[in-house]
Amino acid sequence: MDLTRAKIRDLRKALDTKEIGAAELCGEYFKKIEASDDKLLSYITVTKDKAMEMAADAQKKIDAGEASMLTGIPIAIKDNICTDGVKTTCSSKMLENFVPPYDATVIENLKNEGYVLLGKTSMDEFAMGGSNQTSAFAKTKNPYDLERVPGGSSGGSAAAVSASLAPCALGSDTGGSIRQPASFCGVTGIKPTYGRVSRYGLVAFASSLDQIGPICNDAHDCAIMLNAICSQDAHDATSARVDIPDFTAKLGQSVKGMKIAMPKEFYSDDIDDEVKSSVVAAAKTLEAQGAQLIDCSIPGLKYAIPAYYLIACAEAASNLSRFDGIKYGYRGEGRTFEDLIRDSRSKGFGEEVKRRILLGNYALSSGYYDAYYKKALALKQEIIKEYNEVFDIADVILTPTAPSVAYKIGAQDNDPVKMYLADICTVTVNIAGLPGINTTCGYTGEGMPIGMSVIGKRFDEQTILQCADAFEQTFAPTAPKL
Amino acid sequence: MELKTIQHLCELSKLNYEDEALEKVMSEMTDIIELMDTIKSFDLTYDDTKDNNSIKFCETREDVAKPSFPTEKLLSNAENTDNCYVVPKVVE
Amino acid sequence: MSAYFPTMGLEIHAELLTNSKVFCTCSAEFGGEPNSRCCPVCSGLPGTLPVLNRRAVEYIIKAGYVMNCDISRFTKWDRKNYFYPDLPKAYQISQMPRPVCLDGHVDIKVNGEDKVIRINRIHLEEDAGKLVHDDVNRISLADYNRCGIPLIEIVTEPDFHSADEVIAFFEKIKLLLQYAGICDCKMEQGSIRCDVNISIAPKGSNELGTRTELKNLNSLKAIAKAIEIEIDRQEELLDNGEKVIQQTRRFNEAAGETVAMRSKEDAHDYRYFPDPDIPPIIFTEEELDDIRASLPEMPEQRVARYVEKYGVNVKDADTIVGDKRVCDFFDEAAQDSSNPKAVANYLVGEFMRRVNLGELDLDNIKFSGKQFAQLVEYLYGDKLSQANAKVVLGEMAENGGDPKAIADEKDLWIKEDNDLLAEVVDEIIANNPKPVEQYKNGDQKVFGFFMGQANKALKGAASPKAIQDYIRKKLSE
Repeated sequence: MDLTRAKIRDLRKALDTKEIGAAELCGEYFKKIEASDDKLLSYITVTKDKAMEMAADAQKKIDAGEASMLTGIPIAIKDNICTDGVKTTCSSKMLENFVPPYDATVIENLKNEGYVLLGKTSMDEFAMGGSNQTSAFAKTKNPYDLERVPGGSSGGSAAAVSASLAPCALGSDTGGSIRQPASFCGVTGIKPTYGRVSRYGLVAFASSLDQIGPICNDAHDCAIMLNAICSQDAHDATSARVDIPDFTAKLGQSVKGMKIAMPKEFYSDDIDDEVKSSVVAAAKTLEAQGAQLIDCSIPGLKYAIPAYYLIACAEAASNLSRFDGIKYGYRGEGRTFEDLIRDSRSKGFGEEVKRRILLGNYALSSGYYDAYYKKALALKQEIIKEYNEVFDIADVILTPTAPSVAYKIGAQDNDPVKMYLADICTVTVNIAGLPGINTTCGYTGEGMPIGMSVIGKRFDEQTILQCADAFEQTFAPTAPKL
Repeated sequence: MELKTIQHLCELSKLNYEDEALEKVMSEMTDIIELMDTIKSFDLTYDDTKDNNSIKFCETREDVAKPSFPTEKLLSNAENTDNCYVVPKVVE
Repeated sequence: MSAYFPTMGLEIHAELLTNSKVFCTCSAEFGGEPNSRCCPVCSGLPGTLPVLNRRAVEYIIKAGYVMNCDISRFTKWDRKNYFYPDLPKAYQISQMPRPVCLDGHVDIKVNGEDKVIRINRIHLEEDAGKLVHDDVNRISLADYNRCGIPLIEIVTEPDFHSADEVIAFFEKIKLLLQYAGICDCKMEQGSIRCDVNISIAPKGSNELGTRTELKNLNSLKAIAKAIEIEIDRQEELLDNGEKVIQQTRRFNEAAGETVAMRSKEDAHDYRYFPDPDIPPIIFTEEELDDIRASLPEMPEQRVARYVEKYGVNVKDADTIVGDKRVCDFFDEAAQDSSNPKAVANYLVGEFMRRVNLGELDLDNIKFSGKQFAQLVEYLYGDKLSQANAKVVLGEMAENGGDPKAIADEKDLWIKEDNDLLAEVVDEIIANNPKPVEQYKNGDQKVFGFFMGQANKALKGAASPKAIQDYIRKKLSE
C-alpha cells in the first residue's frame, strides 16, 4: 500500500477491508521512519514495541467489528504531551529522561479510540521557537528542502506528516506552533478554540494561550482527529462547557455566501510578495465559488508581538519554575537547595528558554508589572474586541500563516527579535482564543509550500474546516521527495 | 539594560551565567525589551472584570476525595528515600 | 513603664475541613505515610492543572460571614512565585487583588473590656508540603501530603496593642471557625497558625514604626512569649539608637529568642499574576444567601439560647461554649433532659473537673449525651448520692456504659432504708454530744458535719433529703 500522504479515511478503509492489518500498517510507517528520519530528524522517540502491542489490541477491535474512526491508525505525538510510561522530553535536556506516570487527556481519548502510538516528535524546546532549531535533541529539517527549517514549535509533527512518516500527528499551538510548521511543511493543521481541547497533560508553555490540535494531510482528517480528541475535561478548569459538535458535519458544503474578511494589516509590506499573492489568489478561488471577500482592519496587530511575548513569557516563567531538578528532570550539582536548582536550571534549559524566562520575570517583577504585563492584558482585551467587530460582518478571516516560507537553517540564529517578529500572522489568534487552520495554498518558485490561515469565531471550527476543505478540493498538493 | 537589572532577573529566575554569557544575554535582552517597549504607546488600561472568562460558582468541582496516586510512581523520576524527595539542605 | 507602645496585626492561616484538597481530588486529611496523599497535580508534575474545590470556596465565604466581611461577587486566583522545596510548582496559588472576603470585623473581650478588631481581608490559598531535615547527611526530605490542603488566610488591620488582645482575638477566631465547621483549629497539628506583624513607636506618636513579622508560633503560649520578647528586642534597638529592620523572624521557643529568617529583598518579589489555569468565579446573590443560611448556630447565639431557654447562668454558658466539643456534648445531653440547667451545672462542675484532670478525653468521650443526662436525672432525682454519681461517672468515663447498668451492677442506688437511716444517725448523734450542743446553741454550721458523717456511713442507702430531714428532726428533739 502506498502510504504517501495517505489519509486517515484511506487507512480506515484499508484496515476495515483487511487490505492491511494494524500491525503491518504501523510496521510500514516504522520502515519509512527508519529509512529517512535520520535525515529529517522528526522523531525524538520511536515506540516500536509499544506500537505493536497497541496494534494487536486495535486489530482485535477491528476483527470484532468494534472499530471506531481511529482504531489501528498510527499517530505521532508532539513530545510535550504526556504519555504514561513513554519518555516526554519537550526537546529539552531538562526532561531528557522524564517518563510521565500519567497520560494527557487527549492521549486517554485517543487510547479509547484504539490508536497506535508511532512515537514522540521533536519540537522547539518547551515549544519556544518557530524553527525546531531550539530542540536539544533532534533539530528537524524541512522535508521539501533539508537545508531549511520545518517551522515550529510542532516542527517534528508537521515534518513527519509531510514526509509521510505518520499519517497524522498531534501538535500544540501557543502562538502559531501548529499552523506555522504546517504551513512550512505543506500540510493542514488546526489550532482549536481555546478551551476546546483539554490541556491536561500538555506540558505548559503559556497556559492562557496553549491549545493542542492535529496536523494532518487535509482538513477532513483534521476534523476526524478533533472528533476524537475534544472532550469536556474535569481535569482542566479552562475546558469549555460548550457542546462538542461533529466537526465533519459541514465538510463538502459550498462556501457560497460565506463572508471572508481580509484584514489589511495582514497583507502589509512585512509579508513576502510571493506569499501574499498566493493567499490572495486562493481568496479569489474561494470568491469564484461564491464566497464574498470583505476588506477590514485589525489595528491592534501593531502591538501584537509585544503583547503576545509579554503574556506568554510571564506565564512561561512561572510554569517553568517547577523544573528545579528535585522532583524530575535534570538534576545538577550543589550542596544547598539554592545551588542545586540554579545549576539544574542553568544547565537543563537552552538559551531561548532562558531568555523567555528572563523576559517573563522582567514583565512580572515589581516596578514593571503595570507597564508591561498589565498593558499586555489590556491589549488582549482590545484585540478580542477588534476580532469581534470583524466577526460582526464576516464568517471567517483569511490571512497568510507566516510572513515567509520556510527559511534556511541558521538564518535567524542569534537574532531573537527577528525570530519573534516572524510570529506576527499567528499570535493574535491565540491572544483572542480563536480557532485557526492552516492549509497549503501554493508553492514558491523554489517549490516551498505557502500556507494560508482561516480564522473562525470562537467554537466555530466547523466553518473554518468547511472553508479550508472547500479550497483543498481545488488544490493538488505536491508531496516532498526525500 | 543595566547589569544590576539582569542580575536581579537571574536571581528571580534562578539562572546562572558566566561573565561572557551574561554580557551576551544582557545585550539580547536589551533588544528584546526595546521591542516590548513599543507596547507602551498603546493607551488603554486593563479592567479584569471585562475578561469574560469567569465561570459560575456551581461549575467548580464537587468536593469528593478520590484515591491518591501510587507513591512509587510519583517518585519514579526523582532522587528519593523513605518515600520522600531528597533535597539538599536549605540555607535560610 | 516603657516609653513605647506596640502595634500589631495578625495573619492567621487556617486549614479547611474539606474532604479533598483545594485543587485536586486527594484526601485533605491530616498526616498519612509520606507522599501517600498525593497525585500528579499536587506534586506538581508537568502538564497537570488545578481544579477548584467548591466546598473550599463555600467555607471561606462562611468564614467571611462569621467575621462580618463583604463577600466579593467576583473573585479570582493568583500565583505567588517563589522557590522553596516544600512548594512543588514553585508558586503558591493564592489571591491578591480580588480575595473572596474584604473589610470585616470581630468583637472581642479583653480583661472585661469590649474591643473591635477590623479584618482587612480573607483569601483562599493552598498549603505547602513538609520538610524533614536530616542534619547528619545535610539533606531535607520533602513530603507533599500537605500540599494543596485548602487554607484561608485571615489578615487583620494593625488593631492590637497587647499580647492579651492578640490571644483573645485568636481564641475568638478559633471558636468562630470551629462553630462554623470549617476548621478544627488544632494548633499542635498546624491546622491553625498565626503570624504576628509587630512594630513599636514612642508613646504619643501617630506614626507606626518599622515592623517585623514573627513566624513559627505553635501555641498560645508561644504567641504571647514571642510578642513579649520581640517588643523587648525592638525597644532595646531603639533605645540604643539603632533601627528596626523590616524582616521575617522565627521564634525559637527553646532559646527564648526571635531570629531573622530571610533578608534578601529579592525573595520578596513574588511576581503575583492571575493564574491562567483557574477561571475567576462569579457568585449570584442566591448562592451567597444559601451559604449564609447554611451557617450553623454560632457561639454567641448558643450562649443566648442556654441562658434564655434553659436558664443557665451566663458564666456557665460561656464556659460550655468555650470549647465546641463540650458545647456539642451539652446540646446532645440537654436535648434528652427534663432539666437542662442541672445538666449544665453538672457538666461545668464534675464533667469539666475530670476533663481538666485528664480523666475525660473530649475527643473520645465514651458515653452519650443522653447517658450523661440520665445520670444527672438520677442525681437530681435523689436516686443517686453525690458520691455515687461520681463513681458512676468515673466508670462511664473510663469504660463507657449506661449509668443505670453501672449503678445496678455496683449496687449504688439510694435505697431509702429508713431503719438503717435511723440507726446510723442515732448513733452519730449519740457519739457526738459536743456538736449537738453547738447546734442547739444556734450554730447551724455543724449541721454539715452531721450530714457528712451520715452520708459517709450510709453510702447512699438514703437520699440526702431523707437524711437531712431525719437529722433535723432528731436534733430538734
